[in-house]
Amino acid sequence: MKVNFNNRDPVYVQVVRHFKEQIATGTLEPGQEIPSRRELANKLKINPNTAQRAYKEMEEAGLIHTERNLPSKITRDEKVLGAVREELIEQAVDSFVTSIRSINVPLDEIVGLLQDKYQKESKE
Amino acid sequence: MIEVKNISKKYGRKKVLNGVSFTANKGEITSLIGINGVGKTTILNAIMALTPVNSGEILINNEKINKASYEKITFIPDAITMLPQMTIAEAMQFMQDFYESWNQERATELLGFFKLKESNKISSLSKGNTAKVNLLLGLALDVDFLLMDEPFSGIDIFSREQIAEVFTSHLIEDRGVIITTHEINDIEHLIDKVILLDEGTVIKEFNTEEVRENEGKSVIDVMREVYRT
Repeated sequence: MKVNFNNRDPVYVQVVRHFKEQIATGTLEPGQEIPSRRELANKLKINPNTAQRAYKEMEEAGLIHTERNLPSKITRDEKVLGAVREELIEQAVDSFVTSIRSINVPLDEIVGLLQDKYQKESKE
Repeated sequence: MIEVKNISKKYGRKKVLNGVSFTANKGEITSLIGINGVGKTTILNAIMALTPVNSGEILINNEKINKASYEKITFIPDAITMLPQMTIAEAMQFMQDFYESWNQERATELLGFFKLKESNKISSLSKGNTAKVNLLLGLALDVDFLLMDEPFSGIDIFSREQIAEVFTSHLIEDRGVIITTHEINDIEHLIDKVILLDEGTVIKEFNTEEVRENEGKSVIDVMREVYRT
């Protein structure tokens, strides 16, 4: 597990985003155990309080569950998991639209290009 | 909690500290930042009652420093204070004889963590390894607060990385740490709280995650604003 943190977003937000990406890509599976807060701090080289904060946020959002003193686990709730995937797709599309809009390209041209590129990348 | 309340200190006619106030909590890493010569080390010495202040007071867990609270806090200076002809084992033995709070189990773990060999003489060590031994001797004490003077200064990047890892590990437990530094790159993601000093006063005190969250600024951004204006 390696994350390149930027310096301007709260670290806990970046940690949550990292987990969401791993959930969306299937690297982290539903019901899978995740590291303890201390282990996570150690792996990502972040402050243990920050790891704690990230876990608290994910717990509140229903992304992870902790029962008693057992290790926390990724949720099996498909609704939550589906929402994570949608959120990440939406974010990616948003940032794409923002950058392409500034170049003033007609939508048809973009869609064509997108199809070509996407198919090419899938083949490689 | 360590509370520094409005302390001032003069060396002769020179005012080194001018009404410095801040708090440092247990379980948090507080960083005193400022360019050299702004009184960072003097503040640590004042907390340890190694240097008398002219006014103001310092409370440790709501009490003035006394014999009991003195046992709960340790100062790790920026250079090792052991004799160079000692081996690491001898330096550890010295600490064990001298301090009741010495925790041999943690010391042994730290040796492994830093990949140090007990039989090595301090004089034979690289700068980075000397800094690690220095840190080990302080970290192995069972205290609530660790004051570290420039632990990252003047050593290679890999030693700095290894030292930074201590702060994310269980070796620090939930102790309170105060670090002085003028170099923040290595530890930007590790610290909870920043106290910016200039000319003997606190010019800004902030929580790192809050400043990122509320203002979208990095620690360096804030420093640039403060020191360049």
